[in-house]
Amino acid sequence: MTVKKRKLILAAACAVACCACATEIGSIATEVQLTYTGGQFQPNEVRAPADKPVVFRIKNLDGKAMEFESKSLRVEKVVAAKSEGVVNVRALKPGRYEFFDDFNDKARGALVVQ
Amino acid sequence: MRATPGRTCGLVICTFAALHCSRPARADEAESWLEIETKYIFGFTTGSGIGIEGEKEFTVDSIGRFGKRDGRYAATETKYEYEFTPSQFVQIEFGALGSTHNIRGVTDLDDRNQVAFAGGFAEFRYLAIERTSNNPLSVTLAFEPNARLIDETGGAHVHNYEFETSINADLELLRNRLYAGFNLLYEPEYTHTLADETIRESTLGGSAALSVRLTPGVLIGAEAWYLRHYDDFGLSAFTGDALLVGPTLYVQFTPKSFMVAAWNTQVWGREVGNPQPLNLAEFQRNRVRLKFAWEF
Repeated sequence: MTVKKRKLILAAACAVACCACATEIGSIATEVQLTYTGGQFQPNEVRAPADKPVVFRIKNLDGKAMEFESKSLRVEKVVAAKSEGVVNVRALKPGRYEFFDDFNDKARGALVVQ
Repeated sequence: MRATPGRTCGLVICTFAALHCSRPARADEAESWLEIETKYIFGFTTGSGIGIEGEKEFTVDSIGRFGKRDGRYAATETKYEYEFTPSQFVQIEFGALGSTHNIRGVTDLDDRNQVAFAGGFAEFRYLAIERTSNNPLSVTLAFEPNARLIDETGGAHVHNYEFETSINADLELLRNRLYAGFNLLYEPEYTHTLADETIRESTLGGSAALSVRLTPGVLIGAEAWYLRHYDDFGLSAFTGDALLVGPTLYVQFTPKSFMVAAWNTQVWGREVGNPQPLNLAEFQRNRVRLKFAWEF
């Protein structure tokens, strides 16, 4: 086998492995969609299964930036006006995890993990 | 009564508490408060909090120690600290140490009046048990190596290496309102003096603290520390112990800045081979902590 062929096989194996990993991560994480509009989260209570990672997708439709923050989830993310932010959270135990906008603490919500 | 930094700090904490206790928050009010980070709400006792992923913080953390058996003794050590949380389970801190010593007429210590760069430190914290709405207990394991060029007690030039290991636990007793904190500490220390002398010692101890949240940004409390000193790493050469108690205060100024104040006074202690009350050879009569932090 020539060196060129070996390199091609190695590159193909890496690509397959990357695709497999990406598919697996995508399949085990629970995606939670949130919209931030009028200074409030919509919906303000979301649910996810226990022992699985959670991915928050936060669409900020307001004209100013917001900061998605949670002490119990131990995450924070500034989401610019009219844009989307993604926050990855570890696999969670059952319970209620509160989140809020750090720039406007009247905007609150909770993730209920069951 | 002579005003000392310890008494002044205690007075400030008590006055602040009295002002806020004049209108205590109702239990249903506390339900609507935002959750709080517990790491710094217990004074010298460290809570289990590790911050939130991506958060960075700069802090100036001063600890003052005052009072020996005789003479005049005042020493401070200040940490200029950068702290960050790279994952949802780990927190890392590092920084420089500065010290001051004002010593006059203290037995076994040289007279000294100095300000110095004292060394550096790092701290690694791992959240082992996390609090959820169904589990009020949270536990963090912490490891803090320190390297000093200045002796913490006497202020002499030395090479000192300390490896503080601790377990920081806290319990949320009433939601958003009342917290209990517990620390277990083991702190081996190796010192090499300019006179070519080698000293091995260690401190073992534990603490219990209670902190109540008066308003969303103000907590007051009290803590007790029991500390034992040994002239070796293996905890066999016991030299004395002490019990310190005192009030604590935590004030959040803005969502991104806060301060901590605490005062501990020695209420009981003993030195091996010395019948006098208190242990003022290895510990001090009073210690005060003042910390300011800015998150970004």
